[in-house]
Amino acid sequence: MTLLQVEDLSVTYRPRDSAAVRAVNKVSFTVGHGEFVGLLGESGCGKSTLGHAVLRLLEKPASITGGTITFDGRDVTRLGEDELRPMRWTNLSTVFQSSMNSLNPVITVREQFADTLAAHPDIAGERVDVDERAGELLELVSLDRGVLRRYPHELSGGMKQRVALALALVLRPRFVLLDEPTTGLDVVVQRDILDRLRELQRSLGFAVLFISHDLGTVMEMADRVMVMYAGEIVEDQPAADMVAGQLHPYSVGLLGSYADPRDAVVDVAFTPGRPPDLSREHPGCLFEPRCPVSVDACRTKHPELLPARRGRARCLLVEVAPDGSARTPNASPRDRSGTVFSADAAARNRGPADGEPILVVEGVTKTYRTQRALGSTTTTAVDDVSFALRPGRVSALVGESGSGKSTLARLVTGVEKPGRGSIRFKDTRVDRLRRRALRGYRRHAQLVFQDPFSALNPTRTVAYALSRPLRNHLGMDGAQARRRAAELLEVVGLSPAAQFLDKLPGQLSGGQRQRVVIARALAPEPEVLVADEPISMLDVSIRAEILELLDQLVRDRGIAMLYITHDLLSARLLADEVMVLNKGVIVERGPTLKVIGEAQDPYTRRLLAAIPRPGQERAPAMAGRSDGAGQTQSLGRPPHGD
Amino acid sequence: MTTPGGTPVAAPAAAGDTEGVGIAALDAGRTHRMPGWFVILWRNGKCRLGLLLLAAFVLVAVLAPYIAPFGPRVDAFATSQGPTGAHWLGTTAQGEDVYSQIVYGARTSLLVGVVAGTLSTLIAMAVGLTAGYLQGFVDEVLSFFVNLGLVVPVLPLMITLAAYAPVKGLGLIIVVITVTGWAHGARIKRAQIITLRTRDYVTAAKFAGDSTARIITHEIAPNMMSLIVVGFMSSALGAIGAEAGLAFLGLGDPQTTSWGTMLNQASLGGAMTTGQWAWVVAPGLILALLVTSFTLINFGVDALSNPHLRED
Repeated sequence: MTLLQVEDLSVTYRPRDSAAVRAVNKVSFTVGHGEFVGLLGESGCGKSTLGHAVLRLLEKPASITGGTITFDGRDVTRLGEDELRPMRWTNLSTVFQSSMNSLNPVITVREQFADTLAAHPDIAGERVDVDERAGELLELVSLDRGVLRRYPHELSGGMKQRVALALALVLRPRFVLLDEPTTGLDVVVQRDILDRLRELQRSLGFAVLFISHDLGTVMEMADRVMVMYAGEIVEDQPAADMVAGQLHPYSVGLLGSYADPRDAVVDVAFTPGRPPDLSREHPGCLFEPRCPVSVDACRTKHPELLPARRGRARCLLVEVAPDGSARTPNASPRDRSGTVFSADAAARNRGPADGEPILVVEGVTKTYRTQRALGSTTTTAVDDVSFALRPGRVSALVGESGSGKSTLARLVTGVEKPGRGSIRFKDTRVDRLRRRALRGYRRHAQLVFQDPFSALNPTRTVAYALSRPLRNHLGMDGAQARRRAAELLEVVGLSPAAQFLDKLPGQLSGGQRQRVVIARALAPEPEVLVADEPISMLDVSIRAEILELLDQLVRDRGIAMLYITHDLLSARLLADEVMVLNKGVIVERGPTLKVIGEAQDPYTRRLLAAIPRPGQERAPAMAGRSDGAGQTQSLGRPPHGD
Repeated sequence: MTTPGGTPVAAPAAAGDTEGVGIAALDAGRTHRMPGWFVILWRNGKCRLGLLLLAAFVLVAVLAPYIAPFGPRVDAFATSQGPTGAHWLGTTAQGEDVYSQIVYGARTSLLVGVVAGTLSTLIAMAVGLTAGYLQGFVDEVLSFFVNLGLVVPVLPLMITLAAYAPVKGLGLIIVVITVTGWAHGARIKRAQIITLRTRDYVTAAKFAGDSTARIITHEIAPNMMSLIVVGFMSSALGAIGAEAGLAFLGLGDPQTTSWGTMLNQASLGGAMTTGQWAWVVAPGLILALLVTSFTLINFGVDALSNPHLRED
C-alpha cells in the first residue's frame, strides 16, 4: 500500500558562483496510505530540499538530477507544470514554517477558502457551501467559525498557521507535506497544533511527511522516522523502535540532546562539529569526522543503507551486528557522544545565593498604548515585577511569547523606561539614565541576542563587530582592539582566532555566529549579561554547546546573568533560580529544581507538559490540557484585543 | 560608499538550508580578479550591454577633442547642409558641424548626469536617512518637505527657476535639477531605513556604544548600497533628461553645447523645413541611447541586492 514512492532521488544545487552541491543523494523511501512519516536531521542536511523535490517545487539553481518520484502509481518526476497543477492541493498539499505568511492579507479567511474551492471545482463540486466546509475545518483545528470573517492581520501567528493547516486540508488531500509547520511558534501553541494534527490525520486518514529538526516532536508524532544526514538517509525505523534503540550514531547524538528537566540529574549530550561540505567527494562514511564510535574502515568505505532490525541503517558497525544489539542498548549518551553537559541536583559551584545583589528590579510596570480607530487600548506588558541579580549566578525568566519577558530585557538594559518602579544597578538608577549616561551603563550591562543571523551586520567583519565596544567602552586603539578581539574569540571557543577575525557573518555557521555575538557582549567586561533566548534559533545539536559556554562564563567571570527562555530544559541546565512569567506577572519563582520539579502554578505545568518526551506516554501532558480547560480560549487573541 | 569592500555583494546568498554553499561561493568568487559587484553586473547580458554603451559615451566625452573633426562652435562652413563626406551629419543654420557638436555634447550630458545625480543622491540620503532613523518630530518636519518636493509640479518649477534666475550657466541648470529631483529618492531611502533600523545589529551597535551618526553611516548605509546605487542611476537619468528638456525650451546655457541646445537650435533653425533630418534625429537618438544604457545597467543592479536573480 504505497502512496508515495521515491527511488534513488538526487537533487543538485548548481549555483553560478560555486561548485555544485549534491544536497540529496540517491534517497529512496516510501510513504504508505495514511502513514505518518517523520524526517529528521539538523539544518543543512537536505530535508527541506527533499520535501521540495517531492512536491516538484524546486527552483533554480536546484534541480532533480536522478531518480524517480511515483505518486499513487504515476511518475511525477518529469511532469510539466500544467499536468502538476490539477494534482497540487487535491492530492498533495503542504504547510511550511512560513505558511502563516502565505495568507492573502487583503481578503478574509472565508474568501481564501472560497478561492481554493473554486480553483478545483472537479474535486470540491460546483456548488459547495463554503461556510459549511470551511467552518467545519476551522473547528477541526480548534478555531472559532468567526475566524472566517477575519482578515489575516487580525489573527495571531498560531491562529494563522492553523488556518493554513485547515486550508491545506480543505480538498481532502491524500498526502500532506509538513515542513517545520510549528517551528517559531510558541511552545504551548505548538503543542496544541501538533496534538490536533495527529488527531486529524488519524480521523481523515491522509499520509504525512513531517519534516523537523525537533526530534522530540517527531518521535512522538510519527509512525516511522527517517533520519537524514548530509543528503543521505542514515536511519529508517518505526518510531517506537527508534526510541528504544537508535541504530546510527548520529541518531544517538540527536536523541542525546533531550532530557526531562524534572529529573534529579539531567544529562544533555551533543555531537560537536558540522555536516560535511557536499561539494567535495568523500570516500568514507560522511558522518565519520564527528562519529564518536568510528573505526578505521569508516574512513575509506562508504556504508550502504541496509536492512537492520525492523528498519534500515547506513553504518558499517550496524552491518557487523544487524540487530544492533552489539552497540545501542543500555548505552548512556555519556559513553558514546563527544561531550556531555550535565546538571545534577546539588547546588552549583557558583556565587553565593545571598550575596550582595548587583542589579535590583523593584515593582516595575510597563504599559503600552496602542492607537485604535476609536480611542486607544492599553496593554500591560509587565506588571509589578521585582527581582535581583547576583554576581556569578544565573536567574532564568521563563514564559511564552507575549508574556513580557523581552520587555523586561529591554527595561533591564535601559532600552525602554518603566512606567512605574525602579531598576538599580549598584547605586545607579537605570530607569533615569539618559543618552550619555546610558552609554556608560552599557559598559556594565550587555545583551546577547536571540537571532544570531540578524544580530551581526552582514557587511561587517567579525573583527569590526568586536572592536566597536572595545574602542567605545574601553578606549582602546585599533591595534589593541584587534588583539583583544582575538583573545575574546579564543574565550568563546573560536580558535584559532586569526581564522575568524576577517570573516563576514555569512561565512560562519549559526553556532559560530552566536559565539561571536556572545564575544561581543563580553567585550566591555560587563557585570550583568542579559541573554534573550540565545539558543532558540539554533540547531538542537549546538544548543548544548552554547549553554556550556554561558555556564563557563558565569563561573569564570562572576557575571550576573538574566537568562530569558521559553524552554524549561535549558533553564534547568543553566539557571540557579527560575521565575515563571505569565501575562507580565511572575506566577512562580524559586530555586530551579524546586520550581521545575514541584511546579505549583497551572501555567508552569502547561509549559512542562509542552516538552516532548519521546517514548513516554504523554499522560501528564493530557492532564495539562484538561487543567487548562480554557486553553484555546487563552491562546487565541481576542478579536479586538491588544 | 564608505565601504568599497563591504557592499552586500560580498556576503554570499544566505541560502537557508545550505550553509556550505555560501562558503563555496566565496571560494569561487576569489578566482575572479574583478571585485564581486562588478562580476555580478557583468554577468547580466542587459547590464553588460549598458556598461559597454556607457563606457563608450565616457570615452567619447573624454576624448572629444581627438574624435571630433572640428570645434563645436566653429561656424566656418556652409549653412544648413545635409550629410556629406566632410560633414557626416551636415551643418547647422549657423554653419557649425553637427557631428562635432554631438561629440562635445556628450560632455555636458554626462557632467550634468553625474554631478546632479550625486548631489540629489546626497541630499536624498541626508534627509531620508535622518528622517527614517530618528522618526518622531524630526521625521514629521523632514517628511513635510519631502512630500512638498513630491507634489510640486516639477517641470513648471524648473522652468520658472531657470527662467528667472539672475545667473545663467550649467551650474544653475545643475542646481535647478537637484532642487527639484531629490524628493523621490529621499522617500525611498526613508522607507528602507525604517525597516533596517529595528534590526538587531543596530541595537547591538548601540550597546557597543556607537553614536547615531556612526550607526547610520557604518551599519545601515552599507546594507542599502544597491538602493543607493539605483537611486543615483535614476537621479542621473532624470538629470540628463531634464537638462535636455530645459535646453530644448531655450532655458539652457547658450554658451555650452549640449544635445538639448542642439535640438533647440535645430527647431529654431528650421531643420525640419530644410529637410535636415540628421540634425534633429542624431541628438534625439544619442540621448535615447544614453538613457537606455543607464536603464540597462539598472537591471544588473537589481541582481546585486537580490541574490536569487543572479542565477538566471
